[in-house]
Amino acid sequence: MRVGLPRMHKEAGERRDFLAPFVAALCRDGVDGVVLEEGYGSGMGIEPVEYLSIAPCVRFAPYREVFDQDLVAVVRCPADEAIGWMRPGSILVTMLHFPTRPGRIRMLEEAGIEAISLDSVADDTGHRLVQNLESVGWNGVEAAFRELVRIHPNFSHPSRRPLRVTCLGAGAVGGHAVRAATRYGDPRMREEMVANNVPGVEVTVVDFDLTWHEDYMLGRLERTDLLIDATSRLDTAVPVIPNRWIAALPEDAVVLDLSSDPYLPNADPPMVKGIEGVPHGDLDRYVFPIDDPAWDAQPPAVDTTNRRQALSCYAWPGIHPKSCMEVYGSQIEPLMTLLLTTPIARWDERSGPHDMRAAARGALARWRTTITG
Amino acid sequence: MADDDHRMTVGFPRMRKEPAERRDFLPPLLARLALHDTEIVVEHGVGGGMGLSDEDYSSIGPAVRIASHGEAFEQDIVVVLRCPDLDELDLVPSGTALVSMLHFPTRPERVVRLRRAGVEAIALDCITDDAGHRLVEDSRAVAWNALEAGFDALERTYPLLDDPGRPPIHVTVMGAGAIGRNAVEAATKYGRTDRAARLFAAGVPGVEVVTIGRNLTADQRYIEERLRLTDVLVDATQRSDPSRPIVPNEWLGLLPEHAVICDCVVDPYQLDAEPPTVRGIEGIPQGNLDRYVFPPDDPAWDDAVPGGVAHEHRRMTVSCYSWPGVHPRACMEVYGGQLAPLLETLVERGGMPGVRPDGDYHERALARGSLRDWRPSESPAR
Repeated sequence: MRVGLPRMHKEAGERRDFLAPFVAALCRDGVDGVVLEEGYGSGMGIEPVEYLSIAPCVRFAPYREVFDQDLVAVVRCPADEAIGWMRPGSILVTMLHFPTRPGRIRMLEEAGIEAISLDSVADDTGHRLVQNLESVGWNGVEAAFRELVRIHPNFSHPSRRPLRVTCLGAGAVGGHAVRAATRYGDPRMREEMVANNVPGVEVTVVDFDLTWHEDYMLGRLERTDLLIDATSRLDTAVPVIPNRWIAALPEDAVVLDLSSDPYLPNADPPMVKGIEGVPHGDLDRYVFPIDDPAWDAQPPAVDTTNRRQALSCYAWPGIHPKSCMEVYGSQIEPLMTLLLTTPIARWDERSGPHDMRAAARGALARWRTTITG
Repeated sequence: MADDDHRMTVGFPRMRKEPAERRDFLPPLLARLALHDTEIVVEHGVGGGMGLSDEDYSSIGPAVRIASHGEAFEQDIVVVLRCPDLDELDLVPSGTALVSMLHFPTRPERVVRLRRAGVEAIALDCITDDAGHRLVEDSRAVAWNALEAGFDALERTYPLLDDPGRPPIHVTVMGAGAIGRNAVEAATKYGRTDRAARLFAAGVPGVEVVTIGRNLTADQRYIEERLRLTDVLVDATQRSDPSRPIVPNEWLGLLPEHAVICDCVVDPYQLDAEPPTVRGIEGIPQGNLDRYVFPPDDPAWDDAVPGGVAHEHRRMTVSCYSWPGVHPRACMEVYGGQLAPLLETLVERGGMPGVRPDGDYHERALARGSLRDWRPSESPAR
């Protein structure tokens, strides 16, 4: 079996590719060849020789040729056009988001491509096995504290009061954000602060049973240096923090969007971000000062009157591409071993080994069975 | 250990701990192993504490048989959640893979004993992925079960808990590690989602959870102010210096009278150790599955807290050495799911000699937990 690893042709700031140890594991599993797109790894400063020295069967090729392999693996889903280059019977491993992408499912089926959606690979208890929520929390908080350092008048002074972070949401992302925030998003900064006797960080977490309480929330926001949205809302038509509440935040407060829900004014019902007015960022651009034109570019129904320095990114783990791909590499490696040793048609979701059961849950064939009953 | 034609045997002895320790591995884990070419030997009475019978296990198939306590230990692989007592360790034959919570870093005598006996010990608490994350742990249950007990206790000490006119409940969580993170989430839900739903539906203001790390727990002025506002104080710290408490006993006097102390940490009092180990919150008792709620007037305070440790300031306290065991079935479903791929790998490889430290994901994880490769200088798993 030959494996193709294309680069992600997304925003320029998307620099992630699988690392050399991942490719080495494929070679250990006995692949006939690994075809990397030209420039693979260059976004992270990895020289071609790092990959080429793994085994003679590793080579570089143009983008299109990478898709002409038996198995293609890439974290973010390629464009439809690139998927169209794949051969019938080949396998695509990527984040496909079956539940929200019916058109994509149809296209894969019509092209005769078997697919494994990384976001659907889950253990017996339903926990996703390929995810990097820790990096969502840490990378976002690290970036937010960099802004706080810049605009807070006494950030590093031993006489200042403890910094106050308010985190909306207490789920998995919120949990990592809380831990990161108690450490300024950067263990080295924390050590410096401790060494200089600078008071630390108090992180207050509130969930939906308090965020509805306007009087409480306005009082809370008045005492907030960093406001984090780590919510997972059932009703995305209603913001958790309406724009007018942002006025209660101190002028030098920072707002961090970790949920990354987009504005979808044409959806039914329309979708808004959890903190109304905050622009939607990506890896190219995730810091938005109050005079940034991105605020004015929001859909007309979105109130952006009140603004604070804001951060938002669709792909927070990509901020530190190498450490992100170390995580994804080790999570995806067992799946690749399985794909290379056992045909998908022989996967047994009920009585197969753990990795097989988990992978089978992400298979297009299984999804098709589920939705058709 | 295994020849090509050797059928691996796996033993599941029961735990001999406090009476309320009701956990045993559940049939789905054994059924998973039975799919491989194994013989599974289960101690008589297994699952009895959770309402299961021997037949629930033997009906898995002919690969499973019920046996005595001693026989369950005499197998190629022995799986038991909490470390067997010293006399039970003598039942483990040389060469057997003992899979259990063995805590190598903090139990040097146990390490010596296991090595001397030639046991292929695998510490569940040391099995980690490539990034150092533990693969067999239930920090979620530690936090949720502790907070459930904590809010049950608060219902007793604070009658206004259900009152829509009361202010938000203030919870202070010390520590932001894995247990602290889960404690935050559990606290926002009053330790139980059904309690949270009931109070939310009744229009009762929710819970404000404040998390503080080491850089604020050391700030006496801040902590004293914080304690005065706190309804539930949660210790989820991992101290670098366990010889000093984070909250000295006299500070507990600052907490409101109705406040509850929720102890998620299992550091015991070890005053004979060098340096002595004390609890993070000074003067609170350490509980177990038999007894984990301690009202301030409970005589257990005097019995359970060693002489010389200040304990005159008291608040309602919940503390348990094994919080996950409070809900044994849910706990063992979690552990069973986490252990299944590891045990399957161990069986497939014919025991530890066949496990390659540079092999696949689960082999590498097993190797990290193995006494073969463990050295005393290694720090405990995160």
